[in-house]
Amino acid sequence: METEILENLKKAVVAYDCEGAASWARKAVEEKVDPVKALGALTEAIRQVGDGYEKGELWLPDLVGAAESMQSATPILNEAIKRAGGEKQSLGTVVAGAVFGDIHSIGITMVSTLLTAAGFEVHLLGVNISAEQFTEAIREYEADILAMSALLTMTAPEQKRVIDFLKKEGIRDKVKIMVGGGSINAEFAKAIGADGYDPTAPGAVSLARKLTGKGG
Amino acid sequence: MLKGFTRRFKALEVVTEEELDAIHRGALDVLETTGVRVEHDRALKLFAKNDCQVDFEEKRVRIPPWLVEDCLRKCPSSYLAKARDPKYDLRIGGNTFYFLQGMGMRYVDLDTWETRPATIKEHREAMIVADALENMHFAGAYEFYMDRAGIPSCMVMLENLASGLRYSGKAEHMGYSLDCEKFAIKMAKELGINLQGELGMATPLTFYKEVVDATFSFAEAGFPLSPATVFTLGAEGPATLAAATVLADAGMMAHIVMGQLIKPGIGISIQHGIKPMDMKRGTPRYGAVSKGLTTVMVNQLLRRYAIPSFSTAGFTSNSKKIDFQCGFEKATGTLVSALSGGNMHVFHGGSAVELFYSPILSILDDDIAGWIGHFLEGVVVNDERLAINLINEVGPIPGHYLNREHTRKWWKEEQFIPKATDREVYPVWIKTGKKDAIDHAKEMMEEILATHKPKPLTSGEEQIIEDVLKEAREYYRKKGLITDEEWAVYMKTLESN
Repeated sequence: METEILENLKKAVVAYDCEGAASWARKAVEEKVDPVKALGALTEAIRQVGDGYEKGELWLPDLVGAAESMQSATPILNEAIKRAGGEKQSLGTVVAGAVFGDIHSIGITMVSTLLTAAGFEVHLLGVNISAEQFTEAIREYEADILAMSALLTMTAPEQKRVIDFLKKEGIRDKVKIMVGGGSINAEFAKAIGADGYDPTAPGAVSLARKLTGKGG
Repeated sequence: MLKGFTRRFKALEVVTEEELDAIHRGALDVLETTGVRVEHDRALKLFAKNDCQVDFEEKRVRIPPWLVEDCLRKCPSSYLAKARDPKYDLRIGGNTFYFLQGMGMRYVDLDTWETRPATIKEHREAMIVADALENMHFAGAYEFYMDRAGIPSCMVMLENLASGLRYSGKAEHMGYSLDCEKFAIKMAKELGINLQGELGMATPLTFYKEVVDATFSFAEAGFPLSPATVFTLGAEGPATLAAATVLADAGMMAHIVMGQLIKPGIGISIQHGIKPMDMKRGTPRYGAVSKGLTTVMVNQLLRRYAIPSFSTAGFTSNSKKIDFQCGFEKATGTLVSALSGGNMHVFHGGSAVELFYSPILSILDDDIAGWIGHFLEGVVVNDERLAINLINEVGPIPGHYLNREHTRKWWKEEQFIPKATDREVYPVWIKTGKKDAIDHAKEMMEEILATHKPKPLTSGEEQIIEDVLKEAREYYRKKGLITDEEWAVYMKTLESN
């Protein structure tokens, strides 16, 4: 039974089947399959999709589809781990959002989905997020990483404002900051005092691993 | 009044009238069934008062088809963009086509292709070049060089606009952020000009508070509105071009309804740019063929509605250099936009998505703009230009046309001569240092900066600009958006220029 459940969890992820993944996760809990083992099956499946992406056989819609199906199963398994007195598995906590004045959500949504699938706990605040709101969330969730996006030329400088505000509040050094967005580059990121920049969503996952010391 | 270019032939179409009907009906269905999310209480009340079904809890507005079509009819088919120098006024709509200054956040070094924040001098010089370029009709000072050395981010758009007004007499448009549009509107009103308001809705089907605030501000000032429907296929919008055009139509019609309810009869153009996403990198693909096709479809819709189109196909390139890809991606998209009945096209000077702006590129782009504009003007067929008698008179070889009065009279009008492109014969090209178009453009820029004098501001006009800037600086300081440290750097930057 356990083998069947673990196999079906993997199949659901590679078939982008959110309902199936959730349903097999519930089944795993009912049948008392070790939830850590079940999470491992999901991770293996997402890695398989990631490999396909790296080889150029799969694309972002496949990656996001697999990540979302994994996301529909992980809370169920994490809850079971918690009930059993275990620690929630996470590579780190991320607060993410598009900066104040920027209403473009797709980039940061994509990054958040892939970070979650990689094993980070992500709190996506949404778009048009002020420096104060980022700061509050970093404190509330004790974030390891702040991931900010700004698509527009007119909103990119807002990323600097957030970093300056964090310095003013005395918490800049408590969090790693990664920035992204269509109109910025690595020089800009460095100039505003960010810790890292990557132009792509999958690259942002490697960057987050690097920044938290969990491998590139 | 600046004439711009006139399209003298039938606009390019890629879908039939019946297919266009289906797109329009689909968009009406989306607006009536699903509606749009509007995060603005005043706007929600306005929609409710005008027979829309409003869910105040969900902030959702469902708009009946009759109201949409009524508001489409209320839009004038053209409007005036009023410039500081009246000879640069623009009448936007119909079969006219104007080129706009492009955008790009940073200054680019043409030797290393690396970018950095732009200085006050660099913005000024780019504006003087913009003023001098024959085929750039509409300036856009506010939106290039957004990353300015020494200027706090909340003041950049206003300082950019001020620089545009000081160093060019051409019409200007304006975005919005942190209330800066309110200061810009005040400045424009006192100068007796208008500013087309650039308004970006969020796709899919969402209006955040800031864009609605700005819509109210520009409309109540009586300034033309330019709502934007800009998104990526398969990400913010659906993957198929037909569905994406339905979504774009629904978004733009919702914004048109909002504008016409705020100020009936207000001039509106629609800014559009639907492009594919690079499914490997998650970044937008400019210069893609699907962007060209959706541009034509939206232009078809807008011509049906008799509402001016502001298109962006080819406004930038994914290339990080001024090179083959840059020219190819910019020219093809822009040509398609012009041929399909666009009225304005953001174009000159920008590349690397929106990363850099270069006045050298703006000079090169002016040649593309001239080429496309000349093409739009089409062919005149009358007795004198048909010249049947001349052809009979010259006859076969050894006859030729170089020695004819008809040639002397007409060749310059019938040919477009680009200014920066390399047309030199090979031996002379070798002898004169193998100059390419970029070298020519650099020389042209030096010449423009040495000789071109934009219409100067009167002392009264300069005072208006400075007073409004001063008021804005104080406003942002009070709001805490300019720190003491930023203020010190800012003042030093202004003094040193």
